[in-house]
Amino acid sequence: MDDRELEHLRRENDLLRAEVRVSREAADITARAVIDQFEKTEQMLQRFERANAERVAVLDAATTVSIIAAGLDGRIHVFNRGAEHLLGYSATEVVGRLHPQVFHLQEELAARAEVLSKSTGAPVQPDDVLATLAQSRRTEPMRWTYVKKDGTAFPVEMSVTLLQGGDGAVSGFLCAGTDLTERERVQSEIRTAMEATEEANRTKSAFLANMSHELRTPLNAIIGYSEMLIEECEDDGHDGFLPDLKNIRTAGKHLLGLINSVLDLSKIEAGKVELSLEPFPVRELLTELTTLSKPLVDKNHNRLVVHCDENVGEMVSDMLRLRQILFNLLSNACKFTENGTVTLAVTRVVAAGHDFIEFHIADTGIGMTPEQATRLFTPFVQADASTTKKFGGTGLGLSISKKLCELMSGAIWFESDAGRGSVFHVRLPADPEGKRVARDVPESSATHALAAHVSGIAPAQGTVLVIDDDPTVRDLMGRVLSRQGYRVLEAWGGDEGLRQARAHHPDVIMLDIMMPDRDGWSVLNELKSHAETADIPVLLATMVDEKEKGLALGAAEYLIKPLEREPFLALIDKHRPKCEREPVVLVVDDDPQIREMMTRTLTKAGWQTMEAENGEVALAQMRSVRPDFIVLDLMMPVMGGFEFLAHARANPAWREIPVVVATALDLNAQERACLTGRVDAVLEKNAGDRAGLYAAVVSQVETALKQKP
Amino acid sequence: MVKVLLVEDNDMNRDMLSRRLERRGFTVVVAVDGLESVEKATSEQPDVILMDISLPGIDGFEATRRIKTMAGSARMPVIALTAHAMEGARDQALAAGCDDYDTKPVEFQRLLEKIARWTGSAAV
Repeated sequence: MDDRELEHLRRENDLLRAEVRVSREAADITARAVIDQFEKTEQMLQRFERANAERVAVLDAATTVSIIAAGLDGRIHVFNRGAEHLLGYSATEVVGRLHPQVFHLQEELAARAEVLSKSTGAPVQPDDVLATLAQSRRTEPMRWTYVKKDGTAFPVEMSVTLLQGGDGAVSGFLCAGTDLTERERVQSEIRTAMEATEEANRTKSAFLANMSHELRTPLNAIIGYSEMLIEECEDDGHDGFLPDLKNIRTAGKHLLGLINSVLDLSKIEAGKVELSLEPFPVRELLTELTTLSKPLVDKNHNRLVVHCDENVGEMVSDMLRLRQILFNLLSNACKFTENGTVTLAVTRVVAAGHDFIEFHIADTGIGMTPEQATRLFTPFVQADASTTKKFGGTGLGLSISKKLCELMSGAIWFESDAGRGSVFHVRLPADPEGKRVARDVPESSATHALAAHVSGIAPAQGTVLVIDDDPTVRDLMGRVLSRQGYRVLEAWGGDEGLRQARAHHPDVIMLDIMMPDRDGWSVLNELKSHAETADIPVLLATMVDEKEKGLALGAAEYLIKPLEREPFLALIDKHRPKCEREPVVLVVDDDPQIREMMTRTLTKAGWQTMEAENGEVALAQMRSVRPDFIVLDLMMPVMGGFEFLAHARANPAWREIPVVVATALDLNAQERACLTGRVDAVLEKNAGDRAGLYAAVVSQVETALKQKP
Repeated sequence: MVKVLLVEDNDMNRDMLSRRLERRGFTVVVAVDGLESVEKATSEQPDVILMDISLPGIDGFEATRRIKTMAGSARMPVIALTAHAMEGARDQALAAGCDDYDTKPVEFQRLLEKIARWTGSAAV
């Protein structure tokens, strides 16, 4: 082979190599593309299968909803578990074989077809009703009757929707129905029960009317004969009989009063009292009441003081009913007071943009204990059984007054102090229907006072929110506090108080208990159960001595009205935020030695401490001061650590407080699980290494409290 | 002397009220049911009629209606007395033609005042 040949061969060889390389690369690229394509298809297929499985799962999960879809040929292609369950057919029996119409009552389809024909103007065959409904795109559910495989009919609520493919082309329709049997059964039971109640009410009213008549007839004789005999004995000088005869007459009249009150109460309860609203000057009513109650006032040598604010003017109300309420309260005040003073005061107040007239009836009589007070508005219950004997009365007056007040969109409430007297308040809308135009008072004095307090004084000492329905109390507290440099916010009632507490986050809240719209207990509860207000110390100020309850509900202090200035200010000062409060660590442990060592170590490290010997004591302390950190033992008498944690973590105000458990217990898995997520760390109380424990606690506290903003 | 026709079916109440009225100087004639009251209104010509409402036979409303349509008794004042304290009784009584209305048990002094007003005599 010569050189040229050799050269040629070499070149050919090179060419071949290049070709082979190129074709190999091309094959590689093609293979890769094929594999890519294959993988993509695979993925799409998987996705489609997953979607389909999801669709089936969704359909099957709706076991109480029957879902039936039909294609353009009208044959069923989806029949879910719910449909199987409700109709008693299996999917295999119906899919591809039956039309959805077979589950319907034929006469119902015919009737609907007629209606549809009329509304669309084109004749609709019963078999086309479902498809026509779907096409009308009125998807709101209608009541239908379904017929099961076994022939039983039952009501369903069903909506029919059009099915469209991805390209927008109609592919069929879908019927989704829920069983109404249970709902209709309950509804019919409710209807029956309501009818029975109405019937019972009618019977009750008729019975009362008859009873009243039957009781009055003999009473007429008893009262009449006794009165006649009293006259005759007086005329003939048989004075010895007089006391007994007068007793008969008094008892008869008492009985009559009872009958009248029961009748009145039942009329109000039955909603048969209609109010006749008319405008009248309040002073006129007061004059009338003064005359009317004069004999009652004089009887126990009392003095009646009537006070009416300049701005009270006219009100729109049912004067007769209002007179009944006020007369009842006045006669109670007179009855339970001797040689004392009964005050009737009237003010106009503005609350939530509306005018109210408030009547206050105060006495210096025997008052009530808190227990007696709780039963006050219950029919037939006077303060106690012996009261009835001594003071008479039916025990219905206050129930009636309360019901009437409510009927007139008003409220009645009271404060009482055993041995010192009671105050009843009645608040009614000055103009319930906005009828009256003459109104010359732009704002109540309380509103002025509020404005002055809010704008005038810089919050040097902190902000105090006073929640009290009594404007005089608010005014007084406001003045005393603002003179001391506090900024004072006022709220006339519970709801308003809560609103202001949330809006202004005051440093201290003074809270009254007896308020018309929402009592102080409920306000306190609301305050303590919301994180944003839970930490505000609440000082309860009320006439009712329920200190235990107050503190248990989370009040910081409990004050009995009337308040004395100095102790009151001292308490406010105690609870106002001091400029830089040290973080407080609460040590809960039943071992006094450990507590002492722990607090000593913590104090040295610069923290304030509180101690509690068990969970219960700890919870009580936390209600007055919210600690910033808790060191908790698990084994303690009365209330152990686990129970304490359950309580502490249930209260939103405390949920965020870091807790470190220091225990000598060998925790089992369950106990550990119980602590996980609820405490920040579990430290072992190793008897040999107390110093190590204290150091560990201090380091935990430092880490936790430094994290805080 | 003022003559009162007392219509009352209850023996005790009839006895009691008639005696109390007689003690105050009235002449009292009684009727025990509605029909008798219609008859007595004409035959006795009383100055005022005290009419119980719940009566056997025709009730006080119907009796009043008849009394008020008969020439001999149309102008006699009728005071309805009823133990029904339910609202509506008063309107019903006035609709039946009664001139006045009061409830039982009677407040005797108030009844005397009403009789005086309708007979023009001075209250005793």
